[in-house]
Amino acid sequence: MSTPLSIKHIDSAQLEGLVAALVGAGTTVIAPARRGDARDTVGYRAVRTMAEVVLDQRPDNALKAFFLPPTDPLLHYERKGKDVTLTEVDPQIAPRVVLGALPCDVAGLPIVDRVMNWDYRDEPWFGRRDATTVIALACDKADDACFCSGVGLAPDSPQGADLLLIPTPAGFAVEVHSDKGVAFVAQHAAFFADARDATEVQAFRQRIAGLLPHAEGLDPDAARTWIEAHFMDPHWAQLALACHGCGACTMVCPTCHCFDIVDEQEGVTKGTRRRNQDYCQYGLFTLHGAGHNPRGDQGARIRQRVSHKFAIYPDRFGAILCTGCGRCSRSCAAGIDMFEVVERIAGLQATLDEEAPTGGEL
Amino acid sequence: MKPLQDLARQLLEAGDVKVVIGYQDGRRGVQPAFITDPAQAERLIFDHRCVHNLATYVSPRRGHVKRLGRAAVMLKGCDARAVAGLLRESQISRDDVVLIGVRCGGVHDTPDVSGPLTAETVAPRCHGCTVREPSLPDHLVGELPPAPPVGRDLDADVARLMAMPAAERLAFWTRELDKCVRCYACRQVCPLCVCERCIVDKTQPRWIEPSAHARGNLAWHLTRAQHLAGRCSGCSECERACPEGIPVHLFNHFLAGVVRDAFDHVVSDDPEVPAPVGAFRKDDAEEFIV
Repeated sequence: MSTPLSIKHIDSAQLEGLVAALVGAGTTVIAPARRGDARDTVGYRAVRTMAEVVLDQRPDNALKAFFLPPTDPLLHYERKGKDVTLTEVDPQIAPRVVLGALPCDVAGLPIVDRVMNWDYRDEPWFGRRDATTVIALACDKADDACFCSGVGLAPDSPQGADLLLIPTPAGFAVEVHSDKGVAFVAQHAAFFADARDATEVQAFRQRIAGLLPHAEGLDPDAARTWIEAHFMDPHWAQLALACHGCGACTMVCPTCHCFDIVDEQEGVTKGTRRRNQDYCQYGLFTLHGAGHNPRGDQGARIRQRVSHKFAIYPDRFGAILCTGCGRCSRSCAAGIDMFEVVERIAGLQATLDEEAPTGGEL
Repeated sequence: MKPLQDLARQLLEAGDVKVVIGYQDGRRGVQPAFITDPAQAERLIFDHRCVHNLATYVSPRRGHVKRLGRAAVMLKGCDARAVAGLLRESQISRDDVVLIGVRCGGVHDTPDVSGPLTAETVAPRCHGCTVREPSLPDHLVGELPPAPPVGRDLDADVARLMAMPAAERLAFWTRELDKCVRCYACRQVCPLCVCERCIVDKTQPRWIEPSAHARGNLAWHLTRAQHLAGRCSGCSECERACPEGIPVHLFNHFLAGVVRDAFDHVVSDDPEVPAPVGAFRKDDAEEFIV
């Protein structure tokens, strides 16, 4: 766990004032709030006041939609006679603030940064990343789908956060974790007070310690070892029996980041090129123009998702492509539980390790 | 539970089937089970949490399940209507499957609810249920439990929507469909979405815009609902599967009423009764043809 650069305090009333000041200055504030829909769901959306913000419920939708939208226009095209005019969409956006996000959602952002800055720098992604100050809220809302502590994170992980709020009886302790966070606090200094007694924060940390007993023993390294040696294992087809082959798990995932690019006509001579989230769970995702599909069945597609998260991405980018948020498990209509999947695979490896001869001559 | 487990064991031991598709306890509630080993038959359960419509697993699209061999599948009365749909449309033949009917006292809206069935937790499909004892299956197990409590009434939901001025109704659907991320969980979970290639996946030409914007989302949801008019078995798994909580089943429920009024047809578990879309009658209503 990284040490904060500094620690401040903010009262609930001051936080309300901060949101009002930000919104008043034209900054978009994105926070968990009721979405006003038929099912009264809570999700990340732009808010106008602190009163709209819901901090005691887990948002249903993915924060990543504000960085990699489900659909995102890249350019407009128009044909006039033999000429085609292209108008690119400017990836620079106005400064904005994410407030009260779950640490597991926030932790996904720097993980995805690695691939977005790999063979080229993805402008739409970093345009939004650079424009956004991320204020996470340490989490006490763990349920049995969560396993952040099993993948090296924690309910109070600051990974990806510029500021981390930790609830205290009088408001929030504010841990500053980045230069952007330092600048934000300096710019809005009137709302922040000096850090209070550290025992308040310790009380919260004690309360959240051990909220995820099932996740503590998870061994993602063992899972990786097994995955790397079992590409053709029948386990994958077995796992796929219940899977409906929808992409709900990928859509809600804070780290799934794949996309498709489509041109959509608007009338005869005009149209828009869009980037849409698109994922490995769909048959169409890898379907070749000639008709061959290298991932021809759901077993191959599940293998891809699990392998990418726990073996391929760690190998290529040095990070597990999973924050243990449990959204995939909660959203799965077939009851497939990602924690269980990883635990079982790690267990298969543990069995192999036990059976392998140790020491002596082979 | 014992008669169910014994039956599953016998079917597997006798070689009648290679897999029994049922329900089992998971770490986070009930989940589908695929039992291939008779010794594992004791994992099978049935209770108020068994909301999943397992008929979807015998659809011909399910390659992995199909490759296991002949299947037996547990069905509630409402799920039997979906199997009847697959039979009616010649997607499967009767010999392909062994149907294990369960007498049902209603199910929770989600499979992870513990505790008794209440008006708040009961699935909307249980409202006014007349098929708690399915008639289509080969076997019927369990005692008939008491009727479920009266919960959410989809007729009332639809009536409330239709009573709105058109602009307000459009605002309702705009707000709901704005959440759609086009994951297609509604399609994938549906036992009667049987197309090998869905119209939304067709790219040459592209009929429906794949982007999750207002136009694309409306086109997708209306097309999905239209394709299920007079075919939808009413399980509302589409709505349970939606990760964004969009009440997509309201479209299907509305269209079931339209088909009932226009064609005097209600989807049943009798595969011999043809669906309006698959039958021609000289006295068919034609007032919808413009």
